[in-house]
Amino acid sequence: MTSIRRRMLLATALGAGISLAIAAGGGLVPAQAAEKSVTIGIDLPLTGADAEGATRIKYGAEMAIDEANAKGGVAGYKLDMMTLNDATASAGQYDPAQAATNAKKFVSDPHVVAAVGPEMSGAGKAMSPILSAGNLAIITPASTNPDITDPKFAGQYRPAGKAIYFRTVTTDAFQGPNMANYMRDTLKMKSVYILDDSGAYGVGIANAYEGQAKKIGVKVLGHDQLNPKEADYTTSLTKIKALNPDAVYYGGVAGAGVKFVKQSYDVMPKTIKAGGDGVFGPEYLSAVGFPAAEGLYATNASPHVTEDPAAQAWVKRYSEKYKVQPDDYAITAYDAALVIIDAIKRVAESGKPVNHDNVRDAIQTAKVKTLQGEVSFDENGDINSRVVSVFQIKHDPKYKDDDIIHQYKYIGVAPQSPAS
Amino acid sequence: MTFQDVLIQQVINGVSLGAIYSLLALGFTMVYGIIELINFAHFNVFMVGSFIAMYILEALGLNGQNVILTGFPLVGVLAVALVGTMLLSGALGVLIERTALRPLRGVPGTAAMITTIGVSYILFNIVLLTIGADAFNFPNPMPKVRWGEAGVVLQLREVLVWVVAIILMVCLNFFVRHTKMGKAMQATAQDQEAARMMGVEVDRVVMITFFLGSALAGAAGLIFGLYYNYTNFAIGYTAGLRAFTAAVLGGIGNIPGAMVGGVIIGLIESLGGQLLEVRWTDVIIFSVLVLVLVFRPTGLFGRITVTKS
Repeated sequence: MTSIRRRMLLATALGAGISLAIAAGGGLVPAQAAEKSVTIGIDLPLTGADAEGATRIKYGAEMAIDEANAKGGVAGYKLDMMTLNDATASAGQYDPAQAATNAKKFVSDPHVVAAVGPEMSGAGKAMSPILSAGNLAIITPASTNPDITDPKFAGQYRPAGKAIYFRTVTTDAFQGPNMANYMRDTLKMKSVYILDDSGAYGVGIANAYEGQAKKIGVKVLGHDQLNPKEADYTTSLTKIKALNPDAVYYGGVAGAGVKFVKQSYDVMPKTIKAGGDGVFGPEYLSAVGFPAAEGLYATNASPHVTEDPAAQAWVKRYSEKYKVQPDDYAITAYDAALVIIDAIKRVAESGKPVNHDNVRDAIQTAKVKTLQGEVSFDENGDINSRVVSVFQIKHDPKYKDDDIIHQYKYIGVAPQSPAS
Repeated sequence: MTFQDVLIQQVINGVSLGAIYSLLALGFTMVYGIIELINFAHFNVFMVGSFIAMYILEALGLNGQNVILTGFPLVGVLAVALVGTMLLSGALGVLIERTALRPLRGVPGTAAMITTIGVSYILFNIVLLTIGADAFNFPNPMPKVRWGEAGVVLQLREVLVWVVAIILMVCLNFFVRHTKMGKAMQATAQDQEAARMMGVEVDRVVMITFFLGSALAGAAGLIFGLYYNYTNFAIGYTAGLRAFTAAVLGGIGNIPGAMVGGVIIGLIESLGGQLLEVRWTDVIIFSVLVLVLVFRPTGLFGRITVTKS
């Protein structure tokens, strides 16, 4: 009863918000005043559980926009930002309902020509259909669930047809399988046991991993699910230990992941443990702690740029300006903003009006030199380069235990095709 | 690992898990035995207990697994943490009884039980809103002692769980059977009115019962934390539900029944997960419960105390 009532209240509030936003937007005629400007939207979970990473991403996008404005704008246009938070206090993290509201705000403002975000696939799934209806492009620097851009689900996530969800990271369709290649070729894994956390991201990446592992001749000894609400995984882990696999691959996020890493250290300290970008986060350092976290492999769905010699000048600018170290998703956010800025420039120079329709078309045909290399997209919005980077936790006592930039060490690229 | 080794290992896992369930189940069964109330607040008294234990250990200077103690300092630290956690958790139980449940004593129907659900949610949300949803690295000063490496492995933390659980259960048994207050509890459980007429202070008995049950939940919270090196605001639900099941399985109201019921649930969980699939754990546990209740509606051991006919 209460939950139904609350939802109805929420829906009413939401509806009121939208009509207000539309009314406000309707009153604004794109002003061709002395100084022309366009707006780039930013949507991220800026409070709650993921605030730390989201803030790094926000700074990346802001930096590109500030730098363009400092050079006098883009083809005569000044760039404004509309930064919205998709996290709510009640969710404690990103909230799909809030993400949908934010997407409506972007769409209803005629000044917004494109957006950067979101960080989470769950928010992306909520935003994508609304952005499709408004034909407004968004470029995500971090969300990796492949369904949003998969043509199989086009009716659900882009009902209007055109691609509007672009990415400067690759998807779990590569993140899982590439890691299977890496583990067989480089870590000499011959057998693996797979676990997932029964969530959408976890099941997706674990299944993609399993498919590739079987294809390249790795023995898959089993695939079981961990219940994130359960505290005890020793039964699962004892069972896995008895099968004696070379490695255990975990698809999922921190909820079950923290307990999995901790308890597997007790049950089978020597077995290789690996996961996707769901095991890349401060919880694995603070809540798991050392020595249990030591040796865990994680991936990122982007090239590792922050230690690239060519990017060091950028890293220095970023850390001086914002007083934090950038991570790779700060780079992909900077790249996403660069792609949008380039698209605005090309539209303006072609003489066409700078609006969301034309900017979307320009993003679709982008070929932009960015920090991670040249960015271009396929017809679904996915990035054409499919680089997955591998990291391993190696305790460095020089830095704080929960410093994700220094405790996760970059060790190489997970190849898209296996060695043989 | 041979199959036999695996089974022995799963028995070790199951008994350790079961010991935690047993300590929790005792709280359910004692309260039910005395005032026929299913106390759902117990779920989250356990959770709060694990946080109390964590803060006590941190106040003693422990941080994660960085400080390792042995010998007398180890025993001393664990004893201080155990006693402190049990006293504070017990006080929380008494507070709940005095403020939320005593005013409802004698109100017919399910009002008191619903109140305990409300109290449970209040505790849950207070922890969520003040401490947060993060997982915590529970301090553990125990050295990593392992017997066996390739085959069956027995760790110091498992021995600790068993020892603490057995000591507490022996003490409880002694208290209930051989002290004046224990006898008053038995009398109240048999017939509250008659006990009152014989001069038993029923309110005091109920208060002591809540204190003991909650103190045991706090002890369970401490050994849960030491066993998994982990705590979180959400640990009460799954463990609490399993422990409640253990109490019903053993015969709710029956103290030895709760102890045995907890170990049985722990073993069903580990051996069931081993022989079938782990994702089926809840199906297996609750199927066994339903089967036992169908054939023995009062649980495996039944209620020793005679209820009003």
